[in-house]
Amino acid sequence: MSVYPEVYRLAPEPLDLDALVAEITVPETGAVCVFSGMVRGETNREGYQSSTQRLEYEAYEPMAVAKMQQVAREIRERWPLVQGIAIVQRVGALEVGQNTILIVCASAHRDQGCFEGARYGIDRLKEIVPVWKKDIRPDGVGWIEGHYQPNAADRDDG
Amino acid sequence: MQLKVLLFATLKDRAGANHITLDLPDDSSSVAHVKDALVGRFPALAPSMPTAVCAVNQEFAEANQIVRDGDEVAFFPPVSGGSR
Repeated sequence: MSVYPEVYRLAPEPLDLDALVAEITVPETGAVCVFSGMVRGETNREGYQSSTQRLEYEAYEPMAVAKMQQVAREIRERWPLVQGIAIVQRVGALEVGQNTILIVCASAHRDQGCFEGARYGIDRLKEIVPVWKKDIRPDGVGWIEGHYQPNAADRDDG
Repeated sequence: MQLKVLLFATLKDRAGANHITLDLPDDSSSVAHVKDALVGRFPALAPSMPTAVCAVNQEFAEANQIVRDGDEVAFFPPVSGGSR
């Protein structure tokens, strides 16, 4: 457990970035990096084109929160000067443009891991935190599935 | 033994249930065997099973892990949280 403030949560209500930053910063904090994801209405990448009207997020709640804590521990192993960390994932139905996830990493100075920690946090969340989204499009509905197959090293004791 | 099985996302929709109780004649069993028993009960799950991820008592489990009476066993697609 870190001496710095930490927040791990699945949120049925809209996220308040200012409040979250206030929650995880301390007087010694001088840099905060935030990754904020949102519902994208139009996707056009690598020849793939699609429109989204709404996303519905579902989570395996106790495991998701435990895996968020594991992601934060991994961030601290890699960037030991990181101070406060918050990982908050929205659940439920979200409209285009709405905030879906906040990953917040604080440090005393900007070169002490806050950027790297936030980037690692979102990449790792998409591998091991059990959350799924259902894509509601004008032409149909379908669960979006990831690709990552967890292995023994992804266990908290791994 | 009796297992509490949880299903999420595509698997939940295919089975038409998000949690079921699975009774197996053995005292312990592998995750692979539980998977087979589950498909036996819900054949509609079959297409999702090759890529399904398993967690036992909320930790990732491989096919040869042993489960016992009272365990919570979850099956779900590879995760897709975060943004999009």
